[in-house]
Amino acid sequence: MMSQVSGPVSEQRRLGAMGERLWRGAALAGVVALGVSLGVAAATPDGWRRFFFAYLLAFAYVLSLALGSLYFVLLHHLTNSGWSVVVRRIAELFAGTLPFLGVLGLPLVFAAGELYPWARAGFVGAPGKAAYLNVPFFAARWVVYLAVWGALGGLYLRRSSAQDVSGDASLSVTMRRWSAPAMIAFALTLSFAAFDLLMSLDPGWYSTIFGVYYFAGAAVGVYALLPLVAFLLQRAGFIRRSVSVEHYHDLGKLLFGFVVFWAYIAFSQYMLQWYANLPEETHWFVVRQQHGWGWVGLALVFGHFLIPFAALLSRAPKRRPRFLAAVAAWMLVMHWVDLYWLVMPAASPATPALHVVDLTVLAGLVCLLVAAAAFLARGRALLPEGDPRLAESLAFENA
Amino acid sequence: MSAQPFLPDNTVEAPGKRAPLVLGGNDFASVTEKVCGIVERPRPPRAWYVAFAISSALTALLVAVVGYLFLAGIGVWGLNIPVGWGFDITTFVFWVGIGHAGTLISAILFLFRQKWRTGINRFAEAMTIFAVMCAGMFPAIHTGRPWFDYWLFPYPNQMYVWPNFRSPLLWDVFAVSTYFTVSLMFWYTGMIPDLATLRDRATTRVRKIAYGVLSLGWRGSGRHWHRYERVYLLLAALATPLVLSVHSVVSFDFAVAQLPGWHSTIFPPYFVAGAIFSGFAMVITLLVPVRAFFGLKDLVTTRHLDNMAKITLATGLMVAYAYGVEFFMAWYSGNPFERFALANRALGPYAWAFWIMIGCNVVAPQAFWFKKARTTPWMLVGVSVLINIGMWFERFVIIVSSLSRDYLPSSWGYYKPTWVELCTLAGSFGLFMTLFLLFLRFGPMIAMAEVKSVMPAAGLERGPHHGHGQYWGEIPHQHDPQKGDARP
Repeated sequence: MMSQVSGPVSEQRRLGAMGERLWRGAALAGVVALGVSLGVAAATPDGWRRFFFAYLLAFAYVLSLALGSLYFVLLHHLTNSGWSVVVRRIAELFAGTLPFLGVLGLPLVFAAGELYPWARAGFVGAPGKAAYLNVPFFAARWVVYLAVWGALGGLYLRRSSAQDVSGDASLSVTMRRWSAPAMIAFALTLSFAAFDLLMSLDPGWYSTIFGVYYFAGAAVGVYALLPLVAFLLQRAGFIRRSVSVEHYHDLGKLLFGFVVFWAYIAFSQYMLQWYANLPEETHWFVVRQQHGWGWVGLALVFGHFLIPFAALLSRAPKRRPRFLAAVAAWMLVMHWVDLYWLVMPAASPATPALHVVDLTVLAGLVCLLVAAAAFLARGRALLPEGDPRLAESLAFENA
Repeated sequence: MSAQPFLPDNTVEAPGKRAPLVLGGNDFASVTEKVCGIVERPRPPRAWYVAFAISSALTALLVAVVGYLFLAGIGVWGLNIPVGWGFDITTFVFWVGIGHAGTLISAILFLFRQKWRTGINRFAEAMTIFAVMCAGMFPAIHTGRPWFDYWLFPYPNQMYVWPNFRSPLLWDVFAVSTYFTVSLMFWYTGMIPDLATLRDRATTRVRKIAYGVLSLGWRGSGRHWHRYERVYLLLAALATPLVLSVHSVVSFDFAVAQLPGWHSTIFPPYFVAGAIFSGFAMVITLLVPVRAFFGLKDLVTTRHLDNMAKITLATGLMVAYAYGVEFFMAWYSGNPFERFALANRALGPYAWAFWIMIGCNVVAPQAFWFKKARTTPWMLVGVSVLINIGMWFERFVIIVSSLSRDYLPSSWGYYKPTWVELCTLAGSFGLFMTLFLLFLRFGPMIAMAEVKSVMPAAGLERGPHHGHGQYWGEIPHQHDPQKGDARP
């Protein structure tokens, strides 16, 4: 693969015409898929309700990938990380889609009545809870989260791109300085968004770890997304020299680490509620263990933890980009299954069966996410060329 | 105190450059001389004797009050229904937590290639070992009947008595003993090359034999180093999940219960963050005076302190997040018992302890946003001592405020420690400090071999190498990105 590349400036660092094709094609596919979804929703009985849940699920999925990317960018500025520079632009591009995702997220406010029992007239919850769970306050919070994410995602992409041109090292200093307060804003908005968007689907249930659970999924998402996208880009002929097996190896280690972290968080939540056996908590798990939902849970135990754990444990698999990309793709699927397991029992407790609209909406939003990232990649290099740590990243070796 | 030459500021790291981690014109020989010199001087400094006298007196006090406990029974403590756990388990959790920084530094920072860890890891790992020893004492004594302690271990016996495998208290036995074993192996394995250095330099027969036995025949051959580094990496990988599992299992002791204020799903990661928070505060508390006293400011530089303060701040913010989420969720749950437990925590009879905790754990570490506080020794120590106090109170608040007022108001009570418990707490600090002072006197407190690997000379000779050997200082620019020759 590498042998085709030669000469002094020997790699393709810009998407160019392919970027145009990609974003247009993906955007078209996304719009078509969403159009089909609307058609299916209108044509099937109870289709609209399922459509809204499918939209929530797919949105929570693409959002977690973008937020995971934002986390990656912030963390690597915060720690002044050197090795990761060559893959950071990919994360910046996906985090850069957050302003666009903000627009896609707004319809959820209007669907609140379909999705959330507390948003329906006549709902009686615990005393005082209505002060938090009501549509105007929910909408206000949601707009704040989306605004914070959009601002941060856009800001870090713009600053980093400006550095491509100017090579100004002080931009790195500014980005590092802002990364600490940005991380706090990220942690708080992500946690409360998880409570509002996903946990409140069952307004009687609560778990203090839930924000961390959604974060763990987002982190698995980004550590799967980066090696997969890097692999696909390299296969298409881009950034073939900069991203080396050493970077895949490190991304694979992080993916492995966060697969375990996710399992740790999921186990903590499940075990503690199972053990204490309080009905106000266990009813949430009871729904997820009946009528076939238990199989989805078991699929997570194996597919989201044991299989990738075994696959990524040794050194060699992490140093085979093709294999790592396959595991990463698998993890992106399992991350979706995880969210399906969180969301869909609220819509269909009687069966875990997929509805066609789940897949069409998912395809729609994923295509739009890719389109947005490709759109942002136009006119930008695929790695932060002006970053003063680039030389360190290029020379990086695990040895 | 030995005089220190002027040391440049290495806390500022311009983008693309890596700050040097060893200052003051040291070379390999001077590092060896400096670290071994502390152990090899014929007598420790007078202050060491003073500190040792105080801490061993406290240890003697510990032996006395624990002996009294065994003779008289736990009635000499202030525990009674409803508060069956008080100073004993609070202090147990406190010491287990202190240990976590050592493992984080030695294992997780190693995996994350944080080269600056080499200056502080030995010291912090020693702290881990001694802290876990102090912690392990409390479960053993808190029943007042240490002669039955062997019942904790599941072994086939003619009484057909087995511990309850479903109890997190038993998981604790496994978690803490595994943690202690792996930490000890990690610490000792890492120390072998340095012990061999001490052996090679030993001038007395006793030292030759003692360090000779301890260094296990280390000759420093290429094969030895190869195996050593592999084992080190594997031990780091084994110790990393232990950092998370031990305090998670400790948190299960509380979180599996149905008691409001104990039963919270965020407890495992929250306890881990708190443990690292308190552990780093303890490392700073001890390291700042030691580096000044033994003239090690060029090996444990201001950059090291700055970094430790940043990690302390980060973990402190995680702890603050957990406090906040607990309060939010208690209110959000709408569960009257949850709401009461948390309101009682902040406003009830133990509110004084709660606000000490908030002041020390949430407010005080915010000082570390300012570089001045992260680099000024007395401020570092001041904030760190406050954090240690706060983290002890955190466990006290969780344990005692929840137990003292549970579901049944007729059984409410107020727990006050007796002098025996206060002396036991003080005595545990004495034991910790005694062990620590002995280590400072007889062991290599800085990992010489590892520090040398992050000095420029190591990189120039050996090139980039795994974990232990990567040149820090100026980044070599032999790979010019513009020419696209990234891969050599």
